[in-house]
Amino acid sequence: MAARRIVPLLVIGFFCVADADSAGADAESPAWLELQREASGQTVYFNAWGGDLAINRYIEWAAERVRERHGVHLVHVKVTDIAESVSRIMAERVAGRDADGSVDLLWINGENFAALKEAGLLWGPWTGRLPNAALIDWRGNPTLLIDVTLPTEGFELPWGTSTFTLFYDRSTAPTRSQSAPRNPAALLAWIEAYPGRFTYPQPPAFLGTAFLKQMLLLLTDDAHRLQRPAGEDFDEVSAPLWVWLDRAHARMWRRGRLFPRSGPAQRELLAVGELHWMMSYNPAEASRAIRQGELHETIGALHLEGGALANSHFLAIPYNAGSKAGAMLIADFLISPEAQARKSDEDVWGDPSVLNVEDLAAADRMLFESLARGAATPSPPARLLPEPHPSWAILLEREWLERYVR
Amino acid sequence: MRRPSVLILLAVSVVPTFAGLAAALWFGLDAAGFMRVLDTPGIGLSLASSVWTGAAATLLSLVLAHLAVAVSVTGGWRRRLNAFSLPLLAMPHLAIGIGLALVLAPSGLLLRLLSPWATGFTEPPDWLSVQDPYGLSLIAGLIVKETPFLVLVLFAALPQVPAERLMLQARSLGYGRLKGWMVAVAPLLQVQIRLPLAAVLVFGLTNVEMAIPLGPDLPPTFSVVLWRWFIDADPAIHAQAFTGTLVLLFVTVLAVFIASRLARLIAVLWRRWAESGSRLRGERAVRGALDATLGGVWSLGILALVAILLRSVSGPWRFPDILPDSGELSTWSAVLPVAGNVAETTILLAAATAVAGVILVLPAAERLRHDAALGRKLGAWLFLPLLLPQMTFLFGVQVLLVYLGLDGTFAAVLWSHLIFALPYLWGVLAPARAAIDPRYLAVARTLGAGPVRAWTTSTAPLMLRSMLLAMALAFSVSIALYLPSLFAGAGRIATAATEAAAAAGSGTLRLAAVHAILLAVLPLAAFGAAYAAGAAVFRNRREVPR
Repeated sequence: MAARRIVPLLVIGFFCVADADSAGADAESPAWLELQREASGQTVYFNAWGGDLAINRYIEWAAERVRERHGVHLVHVKVTDIAESVSRIMAERVAGRDADGSVDLLWINGENFAALKEAGLLWGPWTGRLPNAALIDWRGNPTLLIDVTLPTEGFELPWGTSTFTLFYDRSTAPTRSQSAPRNPAALLAWIEAYPGRFTYPQPPAFLGTAFLKQMLLLLTDDAHRLQRPAGEDFDEVSAPLWVWLDRAHARMWRRGRLFPRSGPAQRELLAVGELHWMMSYNPAEASRAIRQGELHETIGALHLEGGALANSHFLAIPYNAGSKAGAMLIADFLISPEAQARKSDEDVWGDPSVLNVEDLAAADRMLFESLARGAATPSPPARLLPEPHPSWAILLEREWLERYVR
Repeated sequence: MRRPSVLILLAVSVVPTFAGLAAALWFGLDAAGFMRVLDTPGIGLSLASSVWTGAAATLLSLVLAHLAVAVSVTGGWRRRLNAFSLPLLAMPHLAIGIGLALVLAPSGLLLRLLSPWATGFTEPPDWLSVQDPYGLSLIAGLIVKETPFLVLVLFAALPQVPAERLMLQARSLGYGRLKGWMVAVAPLLQVQIRLPLAAVLVFGLTNVEMAIPLGPDLPPTFSVVLWRWFIDADPAIHAQAFTGTLVLLFVTVLAVFIASRLARLIAVLWRRWAESGSRLRGERAVRGALDATLGGVWSLGILALVAILLRSVSGPWRFPDILPDSGELSTWSAVLPVAGNVAETTILLAAATAVAGVILVLPAAERLRHDAALGRKLGAWLFLPLLLPQMTFLFGVQVLLVYLGLDGTFAAVLWSHLIFALPYLWGVLAPARAAIDPRYLAVARTLGAGPVRAWTTSTAPLMLRSMLLAMALAFSVSIALYLPSLFAGAGRIATAATEAAAAAGSGTLRLAAVHAILLAVLPLAAFGAAYAAGAAVFRNRREVPR
């Protein structure tokens, strides 16, 4: 992995790697064979955000594979926000449904993971039991072990990685005549010069909150402060962000009185020509969308100078899941080189892999090396910025609502 | 009891409704919860926009529907109005809402049709035309759906009113046709439609189906706030949603009460207008304006359908192109497998609702065929769920289903759909059964047929058309239901409505459009099939007696 300056996280990450739980098991071991027998015939309700056709199709593909090979039935429960499933698990706990719950596997990270883990509603640690866990790039990418400042401790399995990326339409007059803005001040100047063409998804939609975090990390004097829980100094630390937003909103799309509801919603607004900008945690999003005929070929991408907000997304199993063996079998398939390479393929999804590609067997490595990178995919950012402590996101969302819902 | 069929109907519909209400009260009555609801940023505005959009849309739809009925009946184009209403009636709120969002947006179909030749726009203007803070686009959407519904209800009430005699009297007193109708016939019709009108008002105040794609967003209407709370991860916010549904119930009851008082006041003023004896001048201008307005409403509905079709097949579709690049039509092939499973569940559920509903309602209609008073009473009880905010009792029903371990099952969702289909089924089948001349059955019995054979040979054929229509109606109701599928389905049962609402909720209108096509086309297909089946069965009969 490239030189990523996240020293504190690397240190924590090292200790977690030393933990045997993350090492991975043998695919021929009796325990794993027994688990495969148990999983056969099980139905696994995989609760995952269902707002993106490409991702839904990828999950369909995975469902076919595990049904053919292991006789496990994967049902994609498409949720608008994984928080729906989190609240369902909590409701089941309240209702006393401690076995055979309605959720078997979750696509999760950040505050939702924190909420379930703190409430003791996750099963585990389990990731060390998967044969393919040994292939994960534990040492190269610390966000695989620290989920938004909370150690995963084997309760969730890395599935993909994310870096916050901005995309813009290169064909429109404003960006053609000058180079694209690469820092908050230049972005603000662009917004003021070309009103109505920039916006961000409405917090608490996760990309909207991500935009707030990304801008705060770049605007604040002390980015390290954000690694610890927010406290009395929230107003002081976040002040530069609100100054920036107040000025930007006045010249943004709909003058900041309406926001896209999600990242894909913003992508559609870019596709119909209302906006010139969109954003994503997935650097390959625009390339993939162009190939699948959802965006014009004139889209470019950039990371802001000063670093890109980065995190990983994970798979977790609730404490009351009825099909834990099936869920683990599916999770193991989802981090196999075959599934991860397909996921990285920009024709399919374009979500960066969690595997340590350099150490894979030659045939598996070829799966990754044969993938082409699209013109709208930026090269990896010079610097990754770790996610702030979750308490910052909660306070930012609350303050945003107080300020802008009138 | 001597009427098990009636009791079963009540058990299916009224019992869960009350149980759900009781559960909502049990979990929702919480002082701290009320404080949290009231502390939410923008909550006052949310409530105000719910009341404003619901009340304004109901009032405008009512006025339009009355005028439309008056002008069409007195102008001799009643059939045309009926035919015009049908496609708008058949398309669910969600589909029209999603479609209108695609028509009215600055990058929407309407401005594309006018740009750049008339407007000069080469980029979409930065207008707040959809999801505007005043709720105007939401009101427009509700009017497109509720006007045809009220027209239908008014037409259904027309036989109860001696319209022709009243009109003759009014005309002989020298009133114009429009004024004559408005002072003599319309007030009597109004009395007949109070219940459905209340349902329209309640739906307007509490719906999420139109408010998600068209309603304001900063803040959204109160029901959308509740909907978002319900799907929040934080158990405290979830609890607050329970309390919120009680606030919604209170506001709804209060609004219906105020509306009923206002109705009395308007009735008094109306009588004065009638007693003044003034004649309405310029009836021709009123007719012209109304024609234009109705034409506009109808065109919006049809444009919505066109926009759904275009958006679902378009990739990048840069303003101001009227059609998407033809090369991108292939995106449908990518969408089909995803929509296929959803279509299967949706159709299965709707068909089951139609069949189970008719099986439940027929025996009760048979039983109460001579007892019109009790029949009306039962109809009113079955109508009750339509007069309550869906969220309030569905929240409670969901908790009960979780306790019973039934949430997320096909049966639970089917049950929740029956609650909403039964009032319509009863409304079609009970009068149809009561209208059959009892002598047919008597003749069959005297010819020696047993009760079953007499029913299958004499009553069933006479009921067939009504049964087909009722099934198409129940099928369409089921297709359109969103909140019941969401709550009873525990997120596991994916129907066209849940998928379309989820997509619209995250603002991805292209995905929403794909599912909205199913929503729009399936009910039309059901009515078409019912009509065709009726025609095929009766093709060798010259005239089927009622």
